[in-house]
Amino acid sequence: MIGLALDLLIIVSLIGLAIQSINAASLFRGILHFVVLGLAMSLAWARLDAPDLAMAEAAIGAGVTGALMMIAYRRLIEIQPDQESSLRPPPSRLAVPIALAAGALVGVIGLAAIQAEPMPALAGTAVLENLGSTGLGNPITGVLLLFRGFDTLLEITVLLAALLSAQAVTRQVDLDQSLTTQDPDTPLVGALLAIVVPLTVLVSVHLLKAGGQETGGAFQAGAVLAACGVLLVLTGRLGASRQYSPLVNTGLLVGLLSFILIGLAPLLWGQPLLALPGLWAIYWIESAMMISIALTLVLLFAGAGSLKRRDHG
Amino acid sequence: MDSATLYVLAAAVLFGIGVHGLIVSAHLMRKLFAINIMGSSIFILLVATATPISGQADPIPQALVLTGIVIAVSATAFGLALMVRMSQETGKATLAVEDEPENDD
Repeated sequence: MIGLALDLLIIVSLIGLAIQSINAASLFRGILHFVVLGLAMSLAWARLDAPDLAMAEAAIGAGVTGALMMIAYRRLIEIQPDQESSLRPPPSRLAVPIALAAGALVGVIGLAAIQAEPMPALAGTAVLENLGSTGLGNPITGVLLLFRGFDTLLEITVLLAALLSAQAVTRQVDLDQSLTTQDPDTPLVGALLAIVVPLTVLVSVHLLKAGGQETGGAFQAGAVLAACGVLLVLTGRLGASRQYSPLVNTGLLVGLLSFILIGLAPLLWGQPLLALPGLWAIYWIESAMMISIALTLVLLFAGAGSLKRRDHG
Repeated sequence: MDSATLYVLAAAVLFGIGVHGLIVSAHLMRKLFAINIMGSSIFILLVATATPISGQADPIPQALVLTGIVIAVSATAFGLALMVRMSQETGKATLAVEDEPENDD
């Protein structure tokens, strides 16, 4: 009963926040509602027995997306301070019927899926049965790295493609000044970073290591590490740069390249593609992916092709 | 009514809100919110309709959705970059309405 009430509360807030994020009077308020919507989503995942998704949603969905939206908003108001003056398009008479039909379609599909004779989840059963022999404890990590490794390989490729596309359309002009407004030499900032940065690194490495056996994984860890990078950019410790940096480029590619090389290797001894040779390979790939994911997200935030260190006394 | 049904209904409502927002919002960032809300509603649908396997959650839909969340962020980041560039070029972050048919890309 309490559970159902909790579900109802979460759902009501999801719907309210969704309406608010689209219809809020100011765009900035819309962004805030959208970030809170991400947090409410992560509560929903926790209720739906999906702790890995809850963590990913909180870190990636709410955290990183929110940061990306706020920095985009910041760039928009530099160009045109009044983002709300733009005229609304003439109200569409079809919008409400189309929205109702689309919502009804999703509802009918979902209800049909629930009420249909429960089919045995063949793939899921196979995963849970074979998980023991892999040495992994978290079935989701098993699916991501072993049973459906190809999906994850493509996923990290998409992340890289998104970064390259975003860079291709970003105009590289005086971006590095626009990110920091606060005086970066305030003593408190240094003290804060001295505590927060090591702690974040610790948390992300823990998430990475935990991913093998329990809740966690490369994507959650990478997002937490990216938050640390975003903080360093905002406090002026890292700056956007146009200069080619071998270190940054290696970091960007290490995840994809490790996955491809370790995935191709089994072909040499007659094993199928992406048949990873043991737990060390999984942890290696996950660590490399964590670094690449974090760096990709930070570069997307900075809107730059590279980063450089900036020193403050 | 069990909680799976509740979440399916919530997904339906959220999808409707997303579609409506996508059509009526003028600002591109609001359209991005709407697209993300539509995506999230489908993620909820996928996880809520999965059948548990002997008391354990089916890992396949969850892994699928985890991949989906990361792809959604990538696509949103690219969308935001496009929006900022468009705003730099045209001075506004809205799509052209009917009276400007020459640049309706």
